[in-house]
Amino acid sequence: MRRLFGYEERSAALFLAPVMAVLMGVAVFPILYSLYLSFFRIKLTRPNRTPFVWFDNYTDLFTNDLFWVSVARTVTFSVVSVSAIAVIALLVALLLNQDFRGRRILSTILLVPWAIPYVANALMWKWIYDSGYGALNGILYQMDFIDKYMIWLGDQEKTIFLIANAFVWKEVPLATILLLVSLKSIPSDLYQAARVDGASVWQRFVHVTLPAMKPGFMLVMIYETMMAIRHFDLFFILTEGGPGDASHVLSWHIYVETFRNLSFGSGAAMSYVLALVTFALSYTFIRTLGRKV
Amino acid sequence: MSDKTLTQPGGIDYRRRQRLARLAQTLVILAGAIVLTIYVLAPVTWLVSSSFQTEAEIVSVPPHWIPDEPTLQNFEAIFSATEEEEITYETRSGQDPASGGFIPSTAKNLLPAMWNSFLVATLVVILNLLVGVPAAYALAKIRFWGRDASVYFILITRVIPDIALVVPFFLVIKNLGMLDTIGSLVLTYLAVTVPFSVFILVQYFEGLPDELDKAARVDGCSRFQALVRVFLPLSLPSLVAVVLFTFLTSWNEFLLALMFTQTEASQTLPIVLAAFTSDFTISFSFINAAGVLAIVPPVIVAVIFERYIVSGLTAGAVKG
Amino acid sequence: MARIRFENVEKKYANGFHAVKDLNLDIQDKEFLVLLGPSGCGKSTTLNMIAGLEEVSDGRLMFDDMLVNYTPPHKRDVAMVFQSYALYPHKTVYDNIAFGLQMRKAPRDEIDRRVRDAAQKLEIAHLLDRRPSQLSGGQRQRVALGRAMVREPSVFLMDEPLSNLDAALRISMRAEIKELHQAMQTTFVYVTHDQAEALTLADRIVVMRDGVVQQVGSPDDIYERPQNTFVASFLGNPPINYIDGTIEVTDSSTARFVRGDLALTLTEATARKLADCNGREVRLGIRAEDVDETAQGGEGSVIRGKVNSVLPVGSDQFLGFDFYGEELFFRVGKDLSHRLGDDVALSVDLNRLHVFDKDSGKTLIW
Ligand SMILES: Nc1ncnc2c1ncn2[C@@H]1O[C@H](COP(=O)(O)OP(=O)(O)OP(=O)(O)O)[C@@H](O)[C@H]1O
Ligand SMILES: [Mg+2]
Repeated sequence: MRRLFGYEERSAALFLAPVMAVLMGVAVFPILYSLYLSFFRIKLTRPNRTPFVWFDNYTDLFTNDLFWVSVARTVTFSVVSVSAIAVIALLVALLLNQDFRGRRILSTILLVPWAIPYVANALMWKWIYDSGYGALNGILYQMDFIDKYMIWLGDQEKTIFLIANAFVWKEVPLATILLLVSLKSIPSDLYQAARVDGASVWQRFVHVTLPAMKPGFMLVMIYETMMAIRHFDLFFILTEGGPGDASHVLSWHIYVETFRNLSFGSGAAMSYVLALVTFALSYTFIRTLGRKV
Repeated sequence: MSDKTLTQPGGIDYRRRQRLARLAQTLVILAGAIVLTIYVLAPVTWLVSSSFQTEAEIVSVPPHWIPDEPTLQNFEAIFSATEEEEITYETRSGQDPASGGFIPSTAKNLLPAMWNSFLVATLVVILNLLVGVPAAYALAKIRFWGRDASVYFILITRVIPDIALVVPFFLVIKNLGMLDTIGSLVLTYLAVTVPFSVFILVQYFEGLPDELDKAARVDGCSRFQALVRVFLPLSLPSLVAVVLFTFLTSWNEFLLALMFTQTEASQTLPIVLAAFTSDFTISFSFINAAGVLAIVPPVIVAVIFERYIVSGLTAGAVKG
Repeated sequence: MARIRFENVEKKYANGFHAVKDLNLDIQDKEFLVLLGPSGCGKSTTLNMIAGLEEVSDGRLMFDDMLVNYTPPHKRDVAMVFQSYALYPHKTVYDNIAFGLQMRKAPRDEIDRRVRDAAQKLEIAHLLDRRPSQLSGGQRQRVALGRAMVREPSVFLMDEPLSNLDAALRISMRAEIKELHQAMQTTFVYVTHDQAEALTLADRIVVMRDGVVQQVGSPDDIYERPQNTFVASFLGNPPINYIDGTIEVTDSSTARFVRGDLALTLTEATARKLADCNGREVRLGIRAEDVDETAQGGEGSVIRGKVNSVLPVGSDQFLGFDFYGEELFFRVGKDLSHRLGDDVALSVDLNRLHVFDKDSGKTLIW
């Protein structure tokens, strides 16, 4: 009796057709094409010979030391920046959750790092870290922390942390705004109840605020992790993976392999690995958001 | 005096204690606000300050935090750089070679690049609205077979990393002969903007009562008319949010532009900026001025539309 | 003009929930039909199916002789008033009312005439330039009514249109809706879970429970001759009292209901219906108001118990009454004073007893 395509189905199909067409074209097809490409040895320097090599690109990848270096660098970068974002954003969110004069101005100011292009952010930090005339050297020198100017980004030990700092600076606003949502959604009678029970400020924070924020906090952290492991712009402008391989992260590795070595097959294979990792990471993210909509 | 009378038998002055606690709280908030403001604004301020410094001043050690004699010459250089003449500052000859002294030949690309960025961003915004609005309405208000699957599908496309799309995009675009065109950027930017736009809109439409939709349809609206005559006029805030996000994302995008653009025919602002930073002959004051130019439009937009941005972010991005 | 027929209609929601089961209903042209039932019983679902807002899963839905299962709402000539009014926030009152006509491409002056006419009738003519947010709840309600009225639809649907109003306004609006029905001469289908509303407004009432129709009938039928214990309990305030007991048939025209000391003589008409029920376990229903304390009836109509609670309710009082450990509630005059623990005897109106099967709850006498 029931028709499979009633008026509702037909109008929904019509309304969704453009978006589906676009996403098929610019997201699904490329990802599948990428999988296909990853089974070939494609060198743009040898455009006429693109042999099918099964999983060679993947096995090559996993036996390539530089790949594993890049994985290690990516992990360091992500762990450092996401933990820093978590701590800073939580503190800022707690601050902005208070009621005080100037709060609105402060939240507007906070949008500045979010709004500026990553390239401008990179350029700014490059200038701050500059070994000759940069602000970091200047300020540390004036405060007598250092007695001569340092080549900050040239220091293998410090590079990744300095890049992470630039990343954190730009990502904190977004994380804060999202955390504020889950802070604001904690019902105030929960606090009052805890207060009546004689909980101190700290106890209220640990026993009421933190547990209530946990789901929102998890989502934000997953999101930031996804952003961190795919991040490219800062590495391109600040260090180009250097010095040595100190900031040779996965996204940089993919770029070098694809566009400097022109090995599209193995570039595709690596992209695919990254996509799968992201996907696994975002499973909770997708589930939670999907259920909410 | 009155304090004394209020002192409790136990010797604890509760009122005083409470006042102290409140004072402490105010101090903590004040300190936090100051630290936050400095953390956020100091780097930007330094960039802006150094863009107003002359070549001679910018290389002073230690740095001049505030320019001695602020100058607009860096900005003038950008706006007067043309194809025919390459401008050099007399003041720069004989300076430290590391800081250079030349306006790069690419400087003339800055304004066309801004135009390209603007054009790409505008087209992406329009396409996002065209495909996003009907989709969001369908997902929010029509209960059709396959709705959940569609939601998950769009969510999944949202987490695909842009860098994973670069290789296949590049080959396809190259085969289509679209390398170094604005079209290639518009197409690929859809991948990174559309899913997000749809989510902002879906969240908003879901917030509008179902009964409004029902009333419209009983009043004689087809699905399409209900969308256009009732929902669109009500969804202005979310439309603004979508326009802002899509515009900013496109304006700021770097990775895909780096892959697909080669000449000023399609290079966007981030690409030209990035090219400056890797050119050691360019003076820092010039680069910084260019950086400031890149920062100003998005920051102005963000400050003006703060409300829409915050609500849009919380609706479309994560929502805890 | 429309007669609406449900033939074996089923509604299953996408999540598998079976909201309406085997619905057969014939709504006459110009009838005022009220769908009554507890929350979640499928009233709105039924109404939405008429409007076309929900698809019919199975069976046939007919407007006159046309199958409308697949007709989308904008192609059906129906108007609807919602509980939340659902006024368009971005339109003025005038445009809210005019919208339906505009969508149907009525001529401009015709629209204007009808809108002003309706506004006049509903006494909202002075509000036409306002936005919905600038109106009170009662005014919004009128605008919603006006929006449906001007359409002059062949079916007028209302989903709990009064439940957001305060008690006094609700009662005066009830009268207006009744007038509206008389003036408009169209079919009205009205959803409510308020029994008083249903009893005042309806030509016929449909009582539903868990998606199944329990009884269809005039307000009188429904109240006086409930087909089962659910319908009997759903109407009446305080709710009907039940006493379980047995039927003792003496001959074809005399029978008694017995429970312990209590023995009620049934009327002849009732007794005839129960002629072959000797010894049967039944559930007796006595409405709270069907007792009398002043004129003591004869033996065979008296029920005795101990006063448990006294609740004055303005005009009357409710007497809580302990009967074999069960609490019965009766409505008695308020000039009688009772104290807790008093023994009382009430005489029951034997013409108004309800006898139900104990297991199925179905009536045995109507
Ligand atoms: N879209 C839906 N999907 C699944 N189940 C639904 C849906 N809409 C309603 N239901 C369920 O169907 C049943 C009947 O719903 P309906 O809205 O018709 O009830 P109702 O009689 O109008 O109740 P109320 O008096 O509370 O408005 C309810 O149990 C409800 O939970
Ligand atoms: Mg309902």
